[in-house]
Amino acid sequence: MVKNGRLVYLYCVADSEPKIKQIEGSENNLYSICHNGLYAVAAKVEESVFGEEGLKKNMADWEWVKTNVSTHEKIIERVVANADVIPFKFGTLFNTDDSLRAMLEEYGEEFKAILGRLENKEEWGIKIYCDTEKLKGNVINDESEVLKIENEINSSPAGKAFFLKKKKAELLSQIVNRKINESGQESFDLLKELSFEARINKLLPKEVTERDDEMILNSAFLVDKDEVGDFINMVDALKVHYENKGFFIDCTGPWPPYNFCGLSKQKVQNV
Amino acid sequence: MYNVVTKSKDVTLLEILDRVLDKGVVISGDMVISVANVDLIYLGLKVLLSSVETMEKLRGSPFVGPMQEAK
Repeated sequence: MVKNGRLVYLYCVADSEPKIKQIEGSENNLYSICHNGLYAVAAKVEESVFGEEGLKKNMADWEWVKTNVSTHEKIIERVVANADVIPFKFGTLFNTDDSLRAMLEEYGEEFKAILGRLENKEEWGIKIYCDTEKLKGNVINDESEVLKIENEINSSPAGKAFFLKKKKAELLSQIVNRKINESGQESFDLLKELSFEARINKLLPKEVTERDDEMILNSAFLVDKDEVGDFINMVDALKVHYENKGFFIDCTGPWPPYNFCGLSKQKVQNV
Repeated sequence: MYNVVTKSKDVTLLEILDRVLDKGVVISGDMVISVANVDLIYLGLKVLLSSVETMEKLRGSPFVGPMQEAK
């Protein structure tokens, strides 16, 4: 392979011609490749930066990752303003325009099917967090079972009180877990009703969210653009219902449909 | 458009990372590399995965319902 060569970085595949001039930032060499009615939005990048070795090194550089991942998202967002798109994962690279074209040829029909499904829809993200201490505080005051043990503790001798306290702690954590499950499930189900598709993703730990409360639901919804108003109203209703009970509902969007354009499994295994 | 929901900068970075690095279409073929093969994501994928497992144990069974499971 040629040293210091250039690679082709693919951002997304769109169903109509992207207005590159309006999208382009000062430093991106964006262009589009049309093949069988699909438009791939790509850029030429340096192999030293995005080649296998360069990318491995750069992915360890937090500032580099932040900048480049944000650019990736920004470019796709600008394409999505005027077209339906299939967003690609960060760091999808081809050797040449011809190999990108060959990919469009191979996956063209499947891409078109996905784009048909995504028409007039957008992705919304819902992450729900729980302040378990606050929730526990609510549970202590609301649940009769807990209050009953509390009263027993106060009227029992030290030895018995010790065991009752242990029992109370166990009961509390059971109720808290149940409430967390119910709240997450209920919110997800209600929003799913208003969506075309929905999915649950892995929970992110505090090291990643940098929040004090725990993430209890990480979900994404594919919503018809005409029904976004209903979706947002439901989110607001859930906020009113849950946010004084120790939950925090974080709603973001609209996003390009990152979560809803997976290729069929068989096809992925073939490649 | 929908200004009800503002993308505050910190949350958005998390959201962007959660999508751009983890989701989006993955294909191979003539591709040189996919970031899926690079282990250095966020603060290290190992921290991430072990914490996720712990959370799932704490929470008990995952939510039911016809949903696609995260890869």
